[in-house]
Amino acid sequence: MSYRSQNLALAALATAVGAAIAISSPASAQQSADKERCYGISMAGKNDCASTGNNSCAGTAKMDFDKGAWKYVAKGTCTSMQVKLKDGSSRMGALMPIKG
Amino acid sequence: MADHQPLPAAAGSLPDRAGAGLKPEHYRAILAEQPDIGWFELHPENYMGAGRGAGGPPQYYLERIRALYPLSFHGVGLSIGSTGRLSRDHLQRLKGLMAQYQPEQFSEHLAWSSHGSAYMNDLLPLPYNQATLQLVAAHVDEAQDYLGRRMLIENPSTYATFSCSEMGEIDFLAELARRTGCGLLLDINNAYVCAHNHGFDPASYIDAFPAEWVSEIHIAGHAMIDDGIEASGIAGQLLVDTHDRPACATVWSLFRRFIRRAGPRPALIEWDNAIPAWPALHAEATRADRMMAQNHAMHCLAE
Amino acid sequence: MSAYSDLTLLQQQFTAALLAPSTQIPAAIAPTDEAKRQKRFNVYRNNMHAGLVAALGARYPVILRLVGDEFFQAMALAFIRQEPPTSPILAEYGAHFARFLETFEPTADLPYLPDMARLEWLRHLAYHAPDSPIAAIAELASLAPEKLGEIRLHLHPAASHLASDYPVLTIWQTNTHDATVQPISADRPGETTLITRPKLDVLLCPLPIGAGIFITALAEGETMSQAAASALADAASFDLAKTLAALFDAGAISHIQPD
Repeated sequence: MSYRSQNLALAALATAVGAAIAISSPASAQQSADKERCYGISMAGKNDCASTGNNSCAGTAKMDFDKGAWKYVAKGTCTSMQVKLKDGSSRMGALMPIKG
Repeated sequence: MADHQPLPAAAGSLPDRAGAGLKPEHYRAILAEQPDIGWFELHPENYMGAGRGAGGPPQYYLERIRALYPLSFHGVGLSIGSTGRLSRDHLQRLKGLMAQYQPEQFSEHLAWSSHGSAYMNDLLPLPYNQATLQLVAAHVDEAQDYLGRRMLIENPSTYATFSCSEMGEIDFLAELARRTGCGLLLDINNAYVCAHNHGFDPASYIDAFPAEWVSEIHIAGHAMIDDGIEASGIAGQLLVDTHDRPACATVWSLFRRFIRRAGPRPALIEWDNAIPAWPALHAEATRADRMMAQNHAMHCLAE
Repeated sequence: MSAYSDLTLLQQQFTAALLAPSTQIPAAIAPTDEAKRQKRFNVYRNNMHAGLVAALGARYPVILRLVGDEFFQAMALAFIRQEPPTSPILAEYGAHFARFLETFEPTADLPYLPDMARLEWLRHLAYHAPDSPIAAIAELASLAPEKLGEIRLHLHPAASHLASDYPVLTIWQTNTHDATVQPISADRPGETTLITRPKLDVLLCPLPIGAGIFITALAEGETMSQAAASALADAASFDLAKTLAALFDAGAISHIQPD
């Protein structure tokens, strides 16, 4: 029998449920805005750029496939995120140029 | 081959007034103000969820806006000019969404956007010849049969033409309407953009467009980009249909020219990028309404 | 299809040239001079790619902020080239961005990036997920205690979770809400995040240890009791009370099935 089909003792369940009810603050789910526990921002307006072509999110003139676009380093906020790499060392995530 | 006549405006059709593209940025303003505007248009593809059913804010707001205004579905995903089969999945999704929201009108583009399994997220150009006409007519027939309703086909903005084109865009569209009974959507800005890019007179195009088939008009803004150096040594310019600013004066005057000849139509202000606050978009729609009303008044005076 | 063989060939060439810039543009594009043909064709190429890059940027705003605009654009273009859209619904595009990032060498120094992509994708799915009623935790109190062993908790269609070895929720939070990003130390433990959308707003909530196993077991149809046993077997410190409170408070449970 796999561990997955095992059950908790009823008493343990009842205790946990009682404690859960005691510590919960159900109003938060209704308001969608529990600042203490959860993070939310409204995504209205963050829906996708409309669509295609004639109605496109046209960046027509801005993009260039032939030159330049492949030579740069990250200029974002990642550099303040220290990370631990698989070899155990930690590093600030400064990125390398993508291509020569 | 069927030989259709233009249909009179059906009951429950869009009013001959200005409408606006429905943008998530404006949901709340529209519901709060319930502005005086004829109708809203949306891309049904944006209300089909993300692959696991559809709910959340898009449906929530659309339901409420639908209760207040007529709607037009302006599809961008049917790829009606592709030589591949029309996607049954997509037709099914469209039909489901139409059953849910009962839009007064449905339109698509004279373009293709898929090949094999790839969707290019753009409206790509077609050569205008008999083979293309046969293909597009068959697809329009299929879509209209499946959806159980008439659709409109829009003249596209194009940047390239093909050496294998044998007919003009207007002849192509008129013949498509005659064969399938579909209506036409005249995008004034697309006509202007094409006229500039391919070197023809936009006023002649607008004058020749078969008004009896036109059930909707689009008005939008465009951008100008560099098009290399002409043989004359002068820098060429290309117009790109960007929908990111007000329509230019020429597009407005071409709009006026068309409604003077054809009378008012449902007229959409399309603004999909660099979207302004709601009052600015509404002001553009009011401008179109005013032009159509003035034109009507002039007709009455003349009679 | 033979009637359309010329057009099929044209669309095939057009597609190939759109997806791979080194491919020659279709010969059928009407000639003026070659530079002009190229320029005109590039409008389509740019329209397509700019639209997709913008869509990915809207879907992955924290990744965009982490690496910056220019880098994101190049990274997105590499992804688009590897995996062009296969659906007319733009909202379905980008599901495999996390998998792409796992092998994208230039970001190998940011090992939390794939999980951040997963978090943002789940957030996107939650936004569009079907609506559903929300169960209140008080309903548990109304059940006879002997029934507690039998009940099943049904997850809301918008609810999912992400268990990460990295503090992705903390990174997401500071990059979403703070004008100046808070430094995050490498010693911070991994985090499990609940993603849900009880009404209109998508919520991201931290979950206690073991909660991920619990949620997965619920989703697989186990009873609450079995799921709790599964979670305890995986992590002895699993706290059922805290987990239940977190799930119900965030509106992640749509229905309590009595047996």
